[in-house]
Amino acid sequence: MVGPIYIIAVALGIAFFMGLFGKSLKNLSEWAMLAGLGFMTYVSGQWLLEFMSNNRAVETIFTAGFKPPYSINLQMGSIEAFFTFIINVVGFLGAMYLFKDLKKTGPNAMMVYLVFIMSLNVVVMTRDMFNLFVFLEVGSIATAGLILLTKSGEALQAGMKYLIATGIISGVLLIGIIFAYYFSGSLNIDDLLAANMGASKTTVIAVFLIYVSIILELKPFPANGWGIDVYTAANPGIGALVSAATASAGFYVLYKLLPLGGAEWLNYIAVIGGITFVGSNLMGTKQDRPNRLLGYSSIGQIGLLMMILGLSDILGEKMMIIAFGILISHYAAKAGLFWLSGLIQAKDIKGWAALRKSPFLLFLFGTFVFALIGFPPFPSFFGKWELITTLAANGQWAWMVTILAGSFIEGIYLFRWLGYAIKLDHEDLPDFKIEWNKIFPIWIMAIVLYAVGVYVTPMVEGGMFINYLPLMFVLFLFAIDFLPVYIKNTISIGGIIWYMFHIYPVLEGDLLRLIFAGIFLVGGVLTLMAGYSKKGTRKGFYPMAMMMFAGLIGIIEASTLIEFFFSWELMTAGSYFLIIRGKRSMPHGYSYMLFSIGGAYAILFGFALAFASNFDTSLAALGSINLLPTLAYTLLAVGFMTKTASLGLHIWLPGAHGEAESDVSPMVSAILLKAGVFGLMILFLYMDRTSVGATNLLYVLGWVGALTTLMGNMSAAFQEDAKRLLAYSSVAQLGYILFAISIMSQLGWLAGFTYTINHFMFKAILFLVVGGIVAKLGTHYMYEMGGMIKKMPFSFIAVLVSIIVIGGIPPLSGFAGKWLFYNAVIEKGWYFQGAIIFFAGIIAFLYLFKLIHSIFLGQLKDNHRNIKEISAWILVPSYILIIGIMIFSAFPQYILQPIGDMLAPYFSTETLVWEGTKATTSLGYWDGTTIMIVVATAFLLLLAWLLALSSKTKKIEQFNIVFAAERPFRPETTHVSYNIYAGYKKALGFLITPLVTAFWESMSNLVLEFANWLRRIYGGSMQNYAIHVVLFIVVFYLIALGGL
Amino acid sequence: MEYIIISTGFALMLLGLWGILSQKNLIKIILGFTIFNTGINIVMVSIGYVRGKAAPILDVIKPSEAASKIVDPIPQALVLTAIVIGLGVTALMLVYVLKLHREKNSLDINSFKDLKW
Repeated sequence: MVGPIYIIAVALGIAFFMGLFGKSLKNLSEWAMLAGLGFMTYVSGQWLLEFMSNNRAVETIFTAGFKPPYSINLQMGSIEAFFTFIINVVGFLGAMYLFKDLKKTGPNAMMVYLVFIMSLNVVVMTRDMFNLFVFLEVGSIATAGLILLTKSGEALQAGMKYLIATGIISGVLLIGIIFAYYFSGSLNIDDLLAANMGASKTTVIAVFLIYVSIILELKPFPANGWGIDVYTAANPGIGALVSAATASAGFYVLYKLLPLGGAEWLNYIAVIGGITFVGSNLMGTKQDRPNRLLGYSSIGQIGLLMMILGLSDILGEKMMIIAFGILISHYAAKAGLFWLSGLIQAKDIKGWAALRKSPFLLFLFGTFVFALIGFPPFPSFFGKWELITTLAANGQWAWMVTILAGSFIEGIYLFRWLGYAIKLDHEDLPDFKIEWNKIFPIWIMAIVLYAVGVYVTPMVEGGMFINYLPLMFVLFLFAIDFLPVYIKNTISIGGIIWYMFHIYPVLEGDLLRLIFAGIFLVGGVLTLMAGYSKKGTRKGFYPMAMMMFAGLIGIIEASTLIEFFFSWELMTAGSYFLIIRGKRSMPHGYSYMLFSIGGAYAILFGFALAFASNFDTSLAALGSINLLPTLAYTLLAVGFMTKTASLGLHIWLPGAHGEAESDVSPMVSAILLKAGVFGLMILFLYMDRTSVGATNLLYVLGWVGALTTLMGNMSAAFQEDAKRLLAYSSVAQLGYILFAISIMSQLGWLAGFTYTINHFMFKAILFLVVGGIVAKLGTHYMYEMGGMIKKMPFSFIAVLVSIIVIGGIPPLSGFAGKWLFYNAVIEKGWYFQGAIIFFAGIIAFLYLFKLIHSIFLGQLKDNHRNIKEISAWILVPSYILIIGIMIFSAFPQYILQPIGDMLAPYFSTETLVWEGTKATTSLGYWDGTTIMIVVATAFLLLLAWLLALSSKTKKIEQFNIVFAAERPFRPETTHVSYNIYAGYKKALGFLITPLVTAFWESMSNLVLEFANWLRRIYGGSMQNYAIHVVLFIVVFYLIALGGL
Repeated sequence: MEYIIISTGFALMLLGLWGILSQKNLIKIILGFTIFNTGINIVMVSIGYVRGKAAPILDVIKPSEAASKIVDPIPQALVLTAIVIGLGVTALMLVYVLKLHREKNSLDINSFKDLKW
């Protein structure tokens, strides 16, 4: 074992050597620097390995031949080994990244660089207070030196601000140290911690001075303008070091000194951290300079870590895993992001659209963003999960809200940024050079994130059950992303089919899950089949689609809360990338993501309450929530409703589904929305529905469902865009489902299931076919279509069947849904809501007529004369689904009877009785098979009669104005289907005034304007920043010690 | 006597801080820093002072009786280190000011506000 002292010795030795012989070394010095840093990494790494593999005692290094407190001692324990290792790793990689800049500036810069990394090592290892001060100062001076690597006025100003601020802070620290020495007679940190200086009114001043200066070093909001400027102006390579290495070291110092003052100081640290986390992220929302944005984000993350330290009393032994997960994610992601920023060198985050030139870099960017927000499988996901659940277990609601709010605000700017990179139209993308020495460190950081994520999974309670198999498949698809579509498509379909066989025995006997697994997996296969119609490689599509399906099936398989949440987030991430693929999808993908994060946090909060009620990690914990049960139910329902797009939370859907690619729309509409339904069903089945809170919640949700349906159908009727019409129709259909299951009776649930299965089938058909038509005709607008019935007869029949189902017209299964539905409504006595739904059902006919009429009937447009039928790869899955509809319509009992039996134990009254094919309720009976036979016979008779008469029909030419009901070759305003329901709109349009959109828009404006106002404190004046620091000290003093 | 010294130290600290926060000329601000640091050093030395004892220099006092005759040597050692660090910081600040002056031909702290928000 190489002693830890050699970390310092080697760094100093090489630095001195360079100082003396640097000029004559020529090209050797940069390699000497790298070798030195590599050696330092090796030393700390082997200690880390030693501590991880053997249960070894802490190594203490004594200097000058005396024992402490008469000499300085260093300590190398497991935590020190970890911190020095991550500091040295980023130091080594950072030097590699800055290789050319350092080389250009010469040996002096390398010296400073070595001393900088060395100082952070000492800061971590030292157990002497004054030694700590000295090396904090050395670190500051070295930082100010490294800022000069960038030769710009801005960097100079930032460096000067940094020097002034740290000058004051270090003065305060020095005074604190001398007081601590005076009171305790020792400079040894262990002696100081034991001295209990927080207890006495005189000695507490030393505690205060030390804390305030260490906290200030961590750049608390709002006394951190100097720190943000450094991030903004310094070379991003230096920004990476300050963010990853300095902040980690500073965090550890605070950790080391945590016992100094006693428990009441922890509160202050937590509050300062919380304010920093929220405040810093809030101001990030108005920022568009990449480095400055990263600065805000860094400071925010450190605030979160500070808060975790402050809450360490509450978090107990969980604190380690929480802090580890969040720290390592921040460390790797922020270093990676700063390095990426240095590659792209854009002045505005919009310039990151240039990343599109290199899909691998885009992949890295996505990795870092998702790691920062805390998505699976990154360590921050587990950290946040443990953090929130542990806080819930201790009743710390305010802290939970703070953390989730801050994280959400972070999502606002990170996903705007990611959206720009993926989708922003950028006329001339700036070129950037890709150098291997700059790419390599970024890759390492991304690998760290994935590896550590998998590594910590089993450490989290319930985490060992998480199934990484589907994710491995996703990874595999990434690896073969260069192959053509048909190969990847076949592999993907094969993967899903294999999983069906794998999962069937697992789910056998659990009908609820089996039905949803069927929707997700069968739906996956069918919608993927349409992918064969695409050409090229379709980069990135398959890994993301499979990630979504992995998440979906994970939700089904989940037996614990964390598995469910893990899969839920996975599904969100995958679907986000699918949705944002559409040509004009940038804003819609963004709003989808924001609603999803908000919803996910609501679910997390609810799950945390469920876990904390009985410390049960299984999903069954939802059944015994005794901590704020009504709040938990409400939050969970709201979270799931962000996916079902219920009224108020629906505004992302029309754009996201309407603008998505033609085979993505059915995936995210017919399949993805059902995840929300599944969540709601799970919640409703588990929750204590006799409680007042749950009853009220269900009543409200019933109303929400009814109004969603009305709004969705009306909006659909007024659309000109075919895909948006379908999207609004989805909103409405999900409203029916929400309403039906909120009734909480066997009939209601049967109706809900029927609607769920129906909507899956007909919406998949409609989006596939209409999407195919839209792609073929090159327009979304129905008034630019027409007469397609002769060009696309198969499409016509598919759409016709689907709209018969939506309309609820016998003999198809839509009627079964309606029949059950109205039975349930009458049985429940929700007449008023039922009337609204009934009214909405009539409106549905308006948009259904518009859809089929405008596309297939009417006049064929001139430019469409050579159009052929859409691809068979779209029609085949559609017709498979039509067969499904026919079977479900003719023999509903095979599915509905088992569902009814499954539901029976949950609901007291079994009101639906089956006799063979006949279903009877108190209100009447219905027989799907008979209806099918009767209607089919009548239809065939009528058809035969019409055919017999057909000899007398007269073929009318297209330009016969009586037939066409529209005048040819005029602008669309004269088209019969353009604004076809203007009269209704005039009468009832006020009902769908986009109040919800206006509400969310004004909310977001409020946040942004507030952030804009708040960030005016960063006026740029060095002196003001110094005043902020002094004011921070004064205010903290007055609150902590002045009795304020 | 030691109260006078320690009070002077604190007074100098505040004076220096006032200089840092109020002066507009960068050189004067650096002077403020040196005064601030001097104040801190005086406070440190006076904290280690014990009435009636000599400086901890062993060529005047025999090592055998040092423990009973000298003041606490640690603050004095700390002050020495602090002075060295202060020197480093001041030098670096002066370099910065030199470069800033070259940049805008001004020493007024308010002419360097390019970075904000």
